[in-house]
Amino acid sequence: CPPASFLVDEVSSIIKEAIEGAIGGNAYQHSKVNQWTTSVVEQTLSQLTRLGKPFKYIVTCVIMQKNGAGLHTASSCFWDNSSDGTCTVRWENKTMYCIVSAFGLAL
Amino acid sequence: MEEFHPHNDEMIFNADEAHNIVKECIESVLGKADYNQNKVNQWTAAIVEQSLTHLVKLGKTYKYIVTCAVMQRSGAGLHTASSCFWDTTTDGTCTVRWENRTMNCIVNVFAVAIIL
Repeated sequence: CPPASFLVDEVSSIIKEAIEGAIGGNAYQHSKVNQWTTSVVEQTLSQLTRLGKPFKYIVTCVIMQKNGAGLHTASSCFWDNSSDGTCTVRWENKTMYCIVSAFGLAL
Repeated sequence: MEEFHPHNDEMIFNADEAHNIVKECIESVLGKADYNQNKVNQWTAAIVEQSLTHLVKLGKTYKYIVTCAVMQRSGAGLHTASSCFWDTTTDGTCTVRWENRTMNCIVNVFAVAIIL
């Protein structure tokens, strides 16, 4: 049985769908952002686990209002380069930025 | 087929230990600085790399993911969330929030146990 691999394109599509589904067409709203970030990570995670691969997953989501402020993010990973992987999707509309990262660690 | 999971008492993520490690790294990199667009990239890189190095030096059989976000303080709203699919008995996470007059910094550590 070949070892499962973290396929970036596959994961990227899953993330994009989750973002569009949660916030596509919406303007930044302080009262809704918490449920949006939760919805994006949960939707992404459930679609990833449905792939049925022997991986542990971590999904993070950042939503920031557009008002000119600078935002910088970085990540560093200590893992197995041959089997583990990550995928980050940056999305924006007129009023907000959304950055989602998914990390997959082979069992 | 039976699966044998050895119960190792040491395989619990120590969040306090990780919290202290990360806090020191943030302080040493951002401590007295003001938000500077030209430097932020090297700051976030330094924070994640130093944190990771110190965590690995603990010598535990874990894989680590460290993420860092630095934001200029301008009144904009920033919201973050994360969700994890893992072994809740051995794996863990720790988030450190830090700020000074001109910027906010949020660092997340995710530790995933390596099954031998």
